[in-house]
Amino acid sequence: MPFAWIARMTPSEQRLHPASIVFDIARYARIFAWPALLAWMSGNRGRQVPGVPDGIDVASFETWLWVLILPSVGLSVVRFLTFRIQYGADELVIRSGLLFRNVRHVPFARVQNLDAVQNPFHRALGVVDVRVETGSGGSEPEARLNVLPAAALDEMRARVFAGRIERHHAQHADAAGDDAAGPPAMAGVERVPVVHLSPKDLLLLGLLENKGMVLVGAAYGLLWEAGMMDWLWGGLFDRTLDARGLFRAIGAFFLGRGPLPVGRLAIATVGIAAALLLVRAISMVWALVRLWDFRLDRIGDDLRVTYGLFARVTATIPVRRVQSITVQRSWLHRQIDRASVRVETAGGQSGAATRDREWLAPLVNESEVARVLGVAMPGTPLACEWRPVHPRAFRRAVKPPLIAALLLGAAMAMVLGWRSLLLSVPFVAWTVWSTRGHVRHLAWTMSDGLIAYRSGWFSRAETLVRLNRVQSVNLRQSPFDRRASMASLGVDTAGGGEFSHRVAIPYLDAELARQTQRRLAHAAARTEFQW
Amino acid sequence: MTGDPQTEEAAQAQPQTLDPGLVPQQRLVGRLSALAVSALSLIGVTIALLVADDLGGAGRAGLVAIWLAVMTGLQWLAHMWPARVFAHTRYTLDADGLQISRGVYWRETTYVPRSRVQHTDVSQGPVERRYGLGTLVVYTAGTAHARVALQGLAYDTALALRDALRLDRPDDTV
Repeated sequence: MPFAWIARMTPSEQRLHPASIVFDIARYARIFAWPALLAWMSGNRGRQVPGVPDGIDVASFETWLWVLILPSVGLSVVRFLTFRIQYGADELVIRSGLLFRNVRHVPFARVQNLDAVQNPFHRALGVVDVRVETGSGGSEPEARLNVLPAAALDEMRARVFAGRIERHHAQHADAAGDDAAGPPAMAGVERVPVVHLSPKDLLLLGLLENKGMVLVGAAYGLLWEAGMMDWLWGGLFDRTLDARGLFRAIGAFFLGRGPLPVGRLAIATVGIAAALLLVRAISMVWALVRLWDFRLDRIGDDLRVTYGLFARVTATIPVRRVQSITVQRSWLHRQIDRASVRVETAGGQSGAATRDREWLAPLVNESEVARVLGVAMPGTPLACEWRPVHPRAFRRAVKPPLIAALLLGAAMAMVLGWRSLLLSVPFVAWTVWSTRGHVRHLAWTMSDGLIAYRSGWFSRAETLVRLNRVQSVNLRQSPFDRRASMASLGVDTAGGGEFSHRVAIPYLDAELARQTQRRLAHAAARTEFQW
Repeated sequence: MTGDPQTEEAAQAQPQTLDPGLVPQQRLVGRLSALAVSALSLIGVTIALLVADDLGGAGRAGLVAIWLAVMTGLQWLAHMWPARVFAHTRYTLDADGLQISRGVYWRETTYVPRSRVQHTDVSQGPVERRYGLGTLVVYTAGTAHARVALQGLAYDTALALRDALRLDRPDDTV
């Protein structure tokens, strides 16, 4: 079986164009050009200094240049001599390396892009710089063929994309293909409005997301740059700076060394409240300007987002490129029955580089959430029953913060006396209470079509991933997990941001986690991943 | 996928250990690294002994003793750790994909479905070549686990695994 494909087609082996050595060296030379120029200039200047023998500086600079460049030239030659490209029946095989040998297999079907770059030098020599991208997680192209004869690119194109058109037809004929859920291609190109935010909604959004501090920070920076800060600061705070002792006074009260500074506390509270309100107001105006006339429409198989008062932004998200959806509900959101919905997309056209977190609906009525999700994940049954994590999760989760709190309390008692233990009582209570809230709201669910994870107590987030978007499934067990026979389960998807809410479920029963991993992998293996 | 996945699973899904050659190979790499650390830190210790005039004879002896202890510890770790890694690493190739379990204290099991493999590398460094070992790297379009590497396979096993992971149904992909 391993070499059956060779029999089907005689593999043609190919090297890089010999000119690749020249281009490689040119690339190194460009890296060294700037330091070399500097060295040369300083060398020239050095020669003008009396007493320094002629030529020494220049000579040493040249020596150094050779020390730096010669190994790179050697590397270029070795790379050229060891680099081999081979075409299999359905994959590209690239061999490289002398000491560290590497053989890379790139299936034709996985190739997203064959980028060819030809600058005037390339053109003069009849070569091209080819980049093969499959859109795997990294930011680098999966193979860079620097440089190939121009004719070889045509051959590569022909081989890589051969049969792709037939496959395309075959897939459309096959109704039970991968995306059984996907709407037919000709579903209609009329605009179907999904979400539209009125100015009132936007003001509400600004109130909720509280981005005012960003603007305040920007204004602060601007004023600072303009040198107006001293003037403002002096005018505003000259006479109120005597509030500085406030914290000291409060601390003294708690240690039983003074009265509570009621008057000053009231003034400070009012001041802080006013500042917070102002920041919220700024945030509301900012949201109004930024997201003015926010619309989410479905146009055929694409989602289109349009917003902005001054700069009108239009973003198109193909439904098939949606990798995961995150619904967020802060405490304030829940008070007024609203939620916000984001999608993670993976760039297909330009490889792995374009990963954006995108708004689907910055603010949407709780009753509308299911409809928005249905548009972004068509055909996936979203009704699900949330399952809690392990019953003993709280007992485990509360231990580390509790131990930390007790150690802190003990340290305070030693330094400040026993009365300070009173301070750590509310702290410990808060630790227990918040951990309980956090663990109680951890939940997950898995159906035939998707896996979802929910976390957060005050500010809640839930992330949904369709099973055909699962890239790999990861099960982790720390030593503590093993003692409690628990595990955490992580689902990797394309296009997740560093700080985005991901499906990573902690405190699962180990056996259940293992079964779920198997089920997920099995479900993912049965579907093909589509960009 | 050919045939019934359940029966195929039963036929293939035996957890495999890495090649035993991993242990001496990793020991060699570990010992060499430990030696390099020893050589570098020896320079530091020598300078400290030369510079610190107020350090008494006992202090000097203590410093040397600590250095010796740490370096012996490193050599011991380089000797003992590879065996533990070997004992705690398993991989399984079944109808659905490749499953890799590893980790001595913090355990981790990664499952890469066959249909999510973007491309694969099989590589071999100079020390690996001496022991006939190779490294298989499987790439997915994911983010946190875009690159899943399995080190310490027999080179031929790595090649066979890679061939077995090749797309079964290339006609179905986009």
